[in-house]
Amino acid sequence: MDIELSKADLEFREEVTAFLDGNAYKPGEDYAAWRLNWFKAAAEKGGWDVPKWPAAFGGPGWTPTQHYIWEQETATRNLPWDLPFGVGMVAPIIMTYGNAEQQARFLPDIRARTVNWCQGYSEPGAGSDLAALKTKAELSEDGTHYVVNGSKIWTTMAHIADWIFCLTRTSSEGKKQEGITFLLFPMKQDGVEVKPIITLGGSHTVNTVHFTDVKVPVENRIGEEGKGWTYAKGLLAHERTGLAGVSRSLVALEKLRRQAGKVKRGNGSLLDDPSFKSKLARLEIDLKALEYTELRSLARAAAGAQPGPESSIMKLKGTEIQQRIALLTTEAAGPFAAPWGGASVGPSFASGGTQSYLGSRAYTIYGGASEVQKDIIAKNVLGLKAKSKAS
Amino acid sequence: MNFELSEEQQLLQDSVARFVADHYSLEARRKLADSTQGYSDEHWKQFAELGWLALPFSEEDGGLGGTVIDALVVMEQFGKGLILEPYFATVILGGGVLKRLPASESRTARINAVMEGQLKLALATTELQSRWDLHDVVSTATPDGDGFVLNGAKSVVLHGASADGIIVSLRTQGGQFDKDGISLFWIDPTAEGVSLKAYPTVDGLRAAELTLEKVSVPGDALLGPLHGGYEILDAVAQEATLALSAEGLGAMERLYKDTVEYTQNREQFDHPLSDFQTLQHRMVEMFMEYEQCKSLLYRATLEFAQDGMAASKSVSACKHLVGVAGRFIGENAVQLHGGMGVTEELAIGHYFKRLFVIDTQFGNADYHLERYAA
Repeated sequence: MDIELSKADLEFREEVTAFLDGNAYKPGEDYAAWRLNWFKAAAEKGGWDVPKWPAAFGGPGWTPTQHYIWEQETATRNLPWDLPFGVGMVAPIIMTYGNAEQQARFLPDIRARTVNWCQGYSEPGAGSDLAALKTKAELSEDGTHYVVNGSKIWTTMAHIADWIFCLTRTSSEGKKQEGITFLLFPMKQDGVEVKPIITLGGSHTVNTVHFTDVKVPVENRIGEEGKGWTYAKGLLAHERTGLAGVSRSLVALEKLRRQAGKVKRGNGSLLDDPSFKSKLARLEIDLKALEYTELRSLARAAAGAQPGPESSIMKLKGTEIQQRIALLTTEAAGPFAAPWGGASVGPSFASGGTQSYLGSRAYTIYGGASEVQKDIIAKNVLGLKAKSKAS
Repeated sequence: MNFELSEEQQLLQDSVARFVADHYSLEARRKLADSTQGYSDEHWKQFAELGWLALPFSEEDGGLGGTVIDALVVMEQFGKGLILEPYFATVILGGGVLKRLPASESRTARINAVMEGQLKLALATTELQSRWDLHDVVSTATPDGDGFVLNGAKSVVLHGASADGIIVSLRTQGGQFDKDGISLFWIDPTAEGVSLKAYPTVDGLRAAELTLEKVSVPGDALLGPLHGGYEILDAVAQEATLALSAEGLGAMERLYKDTVEYTQNREQFDHPLSDFQTLQHRMVEMFMEYEQCKSLLYRATLEFAQDGMAASKSVSACKHLVGVAGRFIGENAVQLHGGMGVTEELAIGHYFKRLFVIDTQFGNADYHLERYAA
């Protein structure tokens, strides 16, 4: 056990910062063009556009330490926007359970970020209890395609997505986890209707999506019919690790400390306020712990193990910390946390802080609510039996 | 010992509750909040007719001679309805100052106008650097002939832009943090040198930034004693803190009750959510926090009614708990509603946001904890 970075790691860090700084966005540049070029340049470095992909699919094959360095360096810089649904979520499923033809068909566009994906999981009646989903996919008589009918909800970025990966019900016999089938299909076609949901922060990121007689060729089914739940479950573990956002939180906390230093409190600043100071310290302590929990998890993954139940710890603690940072930012803003978005009054961080706080309430709900995460840890880590069938 | 409302208070409560039920559906509120003014003149007229605007003024002033307990009754119901009208700004804040002034013609005229619904007020105390310290004042009033010249800026002035008169705290002597040397002035928002920048707050209400640039006012713009405004402000702030706490309590009640109802109707894992013990316990905690807040609110209100400013420690205890419990209940109501909780579609989110804003007004939980401990 040691935490010293090797000479090679230090060189890697230099290479990373050189790449990131060399390819940074320059004011006035065409953003869309820069974005796609950035990913191209990262690809030319040997898979830096898809750090978490396995080497066999073009990933860089980094050690856990290298991943950690990448996370640290990227957290402090503005990277091109990137939705998690393609590279981070559907790609691993296609790699693991898709056939060679599907891999050749979908992965290049996902990697180039030229096609946007969204995730069709939750339904009005199936939130935490995802397996209760009802969106129906019926195989045509000639067996060439499925006909999809039903509704999805909380579908992030469905309004800009080109494709959806969707859990559908092909059978209602047996356990509800059985009879779920994993389909991929385009969003921009007749029979797919997207309606916005406006959330607390006043923003539009999530939607309801309705399917009416959407035809999906059988070639777009991942793996076997009725096995979709197993495929999705593996992905959920991936998703949860990604939601911890340790490096981002570290950066956010540093920023909060700087901002609080500028908030006057009598003749000093808010950093002299004992209660504020101790909240900031508590956050830092929890984050220091979580950083190592993540590293331990990465090390496990490097040894060949799949992300396991510890990914639930990451999601629980990580999202809770993100919420607390957002809340403390609003406390730093004091009376100026109340003015809404565009008002731009008081300290410059005030309105952004309030937006983050309101938005952050969803962190402990999506990707498996905290209560469900705890069920998973209770069952899979502590080996406890649930009294009710909660997971 | 008796914690029951009097017959008159019960009638008042019923009448406000009826108003809320008749006029404040979520949809109706949304429309009002989105309108240019942000509230309804029609409602305001009704407030006047129902006597609510006359409530805290003494019978000698032509008012109803209500106490802080009556104000609590009204504000709690307003909290349940998420009322948008500037009752707090006009009656509790502005009216709170007016009723504490020595008798004068202008005082009588203004109180009458408020009670008739003809005069809306705002109180401007917050400055960029002051947070919630009412004695931290750098904006100034300087004697000039028979009058004064006012300079400076005030922030997050509740309903500042719709007020017909703004009462502002300004430094007339001493250093930035001195309690002595703060004076209150009456400002006509249309006067030269006065500018207001209006904006909505997170909870759908309105506030404004106020700038005073070489504003000339006559000598009688001074309200109360020269240099002696802080004492009035401090007393108004106590009543305001209690009023906000009562409003918060109303919001908390709706949140925990809505959550209990929702979890009984929403099924997941083939059970109503309310079957799950972890959620039951969470709701029990929400309920207990609510009850504890109610107790402290009663305690602080009754002590204030009896002992006045000597009750300030209990008032701080109350606002602290309202801040902490309001957060706990609000966040958990959202959490237990799942995705629906974070949308604008359910009332939950709106109560949550109102409680969030209440914690930013007249001192947050930490601020009052510190005051309590001091």
